[in-house]
Amino acid sequence: MTYDFSIVLGYWQALLQGLGLTLKLTLLCAAAGSALGFFVSLARVSSIKPLRWISTLYVEFFRGTPVLIQLFWFFFCLPIAIGTDISNFVAATLSLTLYTGAITSETFRASLKSIRKEEIDACIALGLSRISQVLYVILPQAILRAIPTLLSNFVSLFKESALVSAVGMADLMFVGQNISSNIARPVEVLTMVALIYFVVAFPLTRAVTVVERKMLAKLAI
Amino acid sequence: MSYSFDFSGLSQGYDELLDGLRITVELTIAANLIGVTFGFIVALLVMSKLKVVRIPAMLFVEFFRCTPAIIQIIWFFYCVPILFDVYLESITMGILALGLNLTAFNAEAYRAAIQSVPKEQHDAGIALGLSPLQRVLYVVLPHAVRSSVPVLITNGIGIFQQTALVAIVAIQDLMYQGKALATTTYRPIETFTLIAVIYFAISFPIAQLVQAIERRREVASR
Amino acid sequence: MLRAAAFARHLRSKEVVTTMNKIMSNKTATQEFATAGSQYKTAAAGVSGQPLVRISNLHKSYSPTVQVLKGLNLDMAAGERLVVIGPSGGGKSTLLRVMMGLEEVNSGSVNFAGQEYICADESKQKTKINLDVRKQIGMVFQHYTLFPHLTILQNLTLAPRKVRGESNASAEERGMALLTRFGLGAKANAYPNQLSGGQKQRVAIARALMLDPKLMLFDEVTSALDPELVAEVEQVIMQLAEQGMPMMIVTHDMWFAKNIASRVVFCAGGVVVEEGTPDEIFNAPKHERTREFLNRVFHI
Repeated sequence: MTYDFSIVLGYWQALLQGLGLTLKLTLLCAAAGSALGFFVSLARVSSIKPLRWISTLYVEFFRGTPVLIQLFWFFFCLPIAIGTDISNFVAATLSLTLYTGAITSETFRASLKSIRKEEIDACIALGLSRISQVLYVILPQAILRAIPTLLSNFVSLFKESALVSAVGMADLMFVGQNISSNIARPVEVLTMVALIYFVVAFPLTRAVTVVERKMLAKLAI
Repeated sequence: MSYSFDFSGLSQGYDELLDGLRITVELTIAANLIGVTFGFIVALLVMSKLKVVRIPAMLFVEFFRCTPAIIQIIWFFYCVPILFDVYLESITMGILALGLNLTAFNAEAYRAAIQSVPKEQHDAGIALGLSPLQRVLYVVLPHAVRSSVPVLITNGIGIFQQTALVAIVAIQDLMYQGKALATTTYRPIETFTLIAVIYFAISFPIAQLVQAIERRREVASR
Repeated sequence: MLRAAAFARHLRSKEVVTTMNKIMSNKTATQEFATAGSQYKTAAAGVSGQPLVRISNLHKSYSPTVQVLKGLNLDMAAGERLVVIGPSGGGKSTLLRVMMGLEEVNSGSVNFAGQEYICADESKQKTKINLDVRKQIGMVFQHYTLFPHLTILQNLTLAPRKVRGESNASAEERGMALLTRFGLGAKANAYPNQLSGGQKQRVAIARALMLDPKLMLFDEVTSALDPELVAEVEQVIMQLAEQGMPMMIVTHDMWFAKNIASRVVFCAGGVVVEEGTPDEIFNAPKHERTREFLNRVFHI
């Protein structure tokens, strides 16, 4: 058997469209999810007990179950539960945003923890109010320290987004699978699709290392 | 929300769910056996001084880490038979795909752990007159294995959750059985919630164990 | 290593002795710092007839078995430079941290310029702190206290802007002036990690001075520094001393203690064991525990 990878090129437009949906989902859920994750991380260190419990339960549940089942739940159960139909895109966005919120909240929590106690002493010695401490000393550092891990969270999200193909959304994975079965060329098409994912994700993982080194250098005392 | 829950229908799928869970657990254990052993070997290859060894190993690791697990699984199912002209049982195929995926992630964990052994420890080994092999066996490895354990367990839980993907290629794991049951009973909410709870009930305690180990280490390293 | 340390000590003594001579002769010095100096002096002499600081019967324990302060009493007059020495765990640093409101106490109180501002409320097991009084005190710590995400100048201006509502322009102007005075003008826009340990501590001192403190607390500010960086920090503190800034210093550096102190306090076991002029404490200690401590420090 011979392999002809040029055959895939004929479908570049469809693949590009699929990649478009994949990226759109990733970016949207990365933005909404990390905003959610940030507030959840605050809720998890809050002094109000019920808030702490609910946020912990949410995070542990979304981290402790397969993303595929989360997606299925939002696709098949949510419409029944709320008694109205929702579009595929909304269901996928909701599901992946909640997943991202759970994993990024852990990232923010770790970065909040890594701020040194000595700096808080200095804040008190300088007479800064609790609100000023949070706004000008804790928050900026927590966000800066979180950036490298957030980037790898986004890479995970990008990869997990391929699961929406299982519920029939026309993302890169779905388009690839369709072409592959239509022309009966799985080796060429699936390998190409994997390569496309790789080409997007790999530079991001390298960026994580670079950003990490920069952040560490900047925030090290 | 006026939905009335009815879990009674699920009892008819009890045996299937149990079968599914058994397959899920088998997949997890087999993939972890592959990942923990081969991961270590690949980590050593990645750190090799020889380019011909290092570069393919790095490519392997990066490729598995930077592509979705689902395409790895589907690729194995459709492409391995064509490329290598072998026809394996679908569950073997699933184990291979998940095992290699975990191998890549664990190789990273081992590599990070080995490289986190402080340089002073090597120096101390040299100063004490240990041979290079002795330094690896008695100084570097114990240190590295200890610090890699939490990450290995976390990766192991990760692969447990990823096993749900094999349902897409019709391996009859917990996810697959759950989906089938949801269709036959017309009770997706109850079924999918129950399935999610089963996954959660297994991964959560193990995740807590990892946290407990890490907390103990933090206290010990103070 | 030993030789390097000895050499650094030698270098340092030369530099610091120069500053010390200035303080003693007080001629060039007063010209140089005339304006700033008088400011601190008036502040220090603000209340007459009573001590600037009065520490009464401080008790603090971390647990029933670990007691750090066991009824510590201490007075400090206006214009004094008090150096607290003593063994580790003797309560020196805890004392400064209590004065800054960073630690709870079980009983006792601290007065500043005649006003009680820290006081244990034994019934509620809480420490009451009068923030307005405490704001008149500045503190510099051992290490790690510059905010790494802010530039040097931003580190200086943050508190004046947020605590006092000072305008950005005015805070920056004062900050630049202070940095220039400390020889750090060129570093205003650098980040803390681009500075040496000695420079960081000088910035930390400048940051505390931005709030115009009437008393400065220095908690082992040179202990974390490499030997060759100690001198520059000690010199800055000497400059402040020269201008009449009242200060309380905790240090392990006996040479520095001897030279900057107007009075030395030996603190051990959570109480003040002995106090006196540097000459009295270092050359003729009365107490057995003081002698023992100084012997150990000087005969390693």
